[in-house]
Amino acid sequence: MKGLLKGLGVTLKSLTDKKVTTSYPDVPITMPDRYRGIQHFEPDKCIVCNQCARICPTECITLTGKANPDPEKKGKVIDTYDINFEICILCDLCTEVCPTEAIVMTGNFELASYSRDELFKDLKWLDDNNSNVRQDNNNIGAPAAAKGGAK
Amino acid sequence: MSDEKEKELEQSAEPKSEEAAPAEAAPAEATPAAAEATPKPAAESAPSAPAAPAVDPEREAKLKAAAEARAARAAAKAAAEAGGEAPAAAAPAGAGGEVDPEKAAKIAAAAEARAARAAAKAAAEGGEAAPAEPKPPSPKQPQLDEAAALIRASVAEDAIEEAYINELNDHMPTLVIRADRLVEACRLLKTRTGQDYTYLRNVSGVDYETHLEVVYHLVSLNSKNELAVKVKTNREQPGIPSVVPVWETANWNEREIYDLLGIDFPGHPDLRRIMMPDDWVGHPLRKDYVPLDPEV
Amino acid sequence: MIRTEELLLNVGPQHPSTHGVFRIIVKLDGEVITEATPVMGYLHRGTEKLAEDLNYTQIIPYTDRMDYVSAMTTNYVLCHGVEKMMGLEVPERAEFMRLIVMELQRIASHLVWWGTYLLDIGAMSPFLFAFRDREIIINLFNELCGARLTYNYMRVGGVKWDAPVGWIDKVREFIPYMESKLDEYHRLVSGNEIFLARIRGVGAYDAQTAIDYGLSGANLRSTGVDWDLRKAKPYSIYNRFEFDVPLGKNGDCYDRYLIRLEEIRQSLRILKQAVEQFPSSGDVMGKVPRVIRPPAGELYVGIESPRGEIGVHIVSKGKAEPYRLKFRRPSFVNLQILPKLLVGETMTNLITILGGIDIVVGEVDC
Repeated sequence: MKGLLKGLGVTLKSLTDKKVTTSYPDVPITMPDRYRGIQHFEPDKCIVCNQCARICPTECITLTGKANPDPEKKGKVIDTYDINFEICILCDLCTEVCPTEAIVMTGNFELASYSRDELFKDLKWLDDNNSNVRQDNNNIGAPAAAKGGAK
Repeated sequence: MSDEKEKELEQSAEPKSEEAAPAEAAPAEATPAAAEATPKPAAESAPSAPAAPAVDPEREAKLKAAAEARAARAAAKAAAEAGGEAPAAAAPAGAGGEVDPEKAAKIAAAAEARAARAAAKAAAEGGEAAPAEPKPPSPKQPQLDEAAALIRASVAEDAIEEAYINELNDHMPTLVIRADRLVEACRLLKTRTGQDYTYLRNVSGVDYETHLEVVYHLVSLNSKNELAVKVKTNREQPGIPSVVPVWETANWNEREIYDLLGIDFPGHPDLRRIMMPDDWVGHPLRKDYVPLDPEV
Repeated sequence: MIRTEELLLNVGPQHPSTHGVFRIIVKLDGEVITEATPVMGYLHRGTEKLAEDLNYTQIIPYTDRMDYVSAMTTNYVLCHGVEKMMGLEVPERAEFMRLIVMELQRIASHLVWWGTYLLDIGAMSPFLFAFRDREIIINLFNELCGARLTYNYMRVGGVKWDAPVGWIDKVREFIPYMESKLDEYHRLVSGNEIFLARIRGVGAYDAQTAIDYGLSGANLRSTGVDWDLRKAKPYSIYNRFEFDVPLGKNGDCYDRYLIRLEEIRQSLRILKQAVEQFPSSGDVMGKVPRVIRPPAGELYVGIESPRGEIGVHIVSKGKAEPYRLKFRRPSFVNLQILPKLLVGETMTNLITILGGIDIVVGEVDC
């Protein structure tokens, strides 16, 4: 009996605790900066090095490049860039190896859709997805890597 | 080179400086004694010597150093006990009798086998066996030798196909045991005092393309020593006796290996598929696995 | 007269208390179990087969998903194995980050276990309390590496991210908060007579059985065997910190319960020391070659995850992908004792015993 009463005391005391619940759909959640949501892609920065497609553990990135339309500049320009979001596991390895930070994660995680077709993200969608773009990328692949704030 | 050998001998724990001089003579003594008294271990260890893994020159130097240290001790004991073979032969008969002479005899037998093997190899390779700096003997070498000698003496002379130290893995002693002697050897490893590997940590099956292999990782909870036991089997009819009578934990591990690799375990109480559905055809983890029905 | 029959009951794959998709086929005689057969494989995703095509950095996200409640320790065991094979040195700050993160993960995992175990037994409020506190830890991880459950945080040679500004202070504040909550949990549940009646003496086994069955973690220590890999085979920098390993006596569910709660307290103790000794600067990634190629050979290493000993057996042929990667999963091995323990028990005790073993089906099936 005594144990039960002690337990009940704890439960009743928690009535006076601060509420920790949030009313989520009405109050949007902002994720911390490093959050790994769906990617944002900037075609201008991409140099078609293919590192992201190679490192992806589930091989969900497919990309093609075309020769630079400007005859003086060398290198390739990105033509199509698709992420099959059905199999993307949001692991962040693609942003880690990108040398130019062309692909970065955003903080958008509300990605449910009514049909599977919408889950195949193409270049236009990824380019438009530029809200909540992650600032701190800790890009190990980039030459001048900007590390996150050390203490 | 001979200075180095003497230095090695002086550095190893037991031989004192007086023994360093007769140590030179000892391999010569031990070799004929070993060749006469223990033809069988020499014969079986000679074929296994070429099968030793790739770190040969250093390993040979290491073995030689350790063997010569032991040969010095063993020669003294062998002279006193009139051949190391007789107590070693008496060891299987006397299970759990006096520990010390038995152990010493086993160490002597192993040392003689090694000295014979090392001497044979040295004779074959000429002077190149000892490189500029001989590798120090692995700290786990005595443990490996004890386990190997125990199994050789009590189970069968040819039960162990190979015994080596896996330096990559914190010098884990590894024994490759023949499949038909596995259960007896494992029972010994579990129960003999000083070698009480009561805890089977992990059983994994590996598919090398030429054969299949099962690796058992053991640990002793009291002395924290580790040991790995490997068993090889062929691809057409893979079968390894089950060690479930020795360690109950192997039960589901062996079922998983049967399911994913197709190795049969006669003696297992309940061998059926565990991960894949019961009517699955094929063994997925094999290198040559092609799904019957590529629906995924 | 009444005719009795044996009933074959399927504690089916869809069941709220089986901690995942896991099935037990139970033969019942009235309310007493005569035989129980676990059936698993509903969550088998073929991680080991997939790993043969991926290089080690790509396998790390897969390891997150095996034991999803305790992903940091699974990440760590793979990275630790590869680092050992290659002989890489991990910088000190990275080791501290790893240790802090692993101990926080241990607390989070034990909270999940506590909450869901009591939920299975019938108490609803401890579940909410546990998840409220776990939410704090999860948010800390979110700030650190950007994900709440599948962290992909450790890399071969270090960790990916350094702690953001102010993170260590948040960890420091969390410790006394959690200690006071732990006392509250003990007051809430551990003295409760109904709870004690349900859990004392249930599912007991002795030390020899536990060793034979290869149990690990709290399941082994509840019988009194002092085997904790953090102390027996120290890895990372655990040998710098003082902590106790709680042991039980009877090997029943109550002992396991108390041991796990006590492990939370000991983890907080380690965290306190780690936060004090945290180096103020340093790299978080060691000198790692561009392509991670362990030398040919094989290696087995095991560490202490909240569930027991998680180990990885890597066979490498010197390439960037492993030739064979086998995970020794604690839930898989610990679950073997279930059929033995269930014979003669009632159906209600089935849930109690199953929960007391603390399994995560993602790990059972790999």
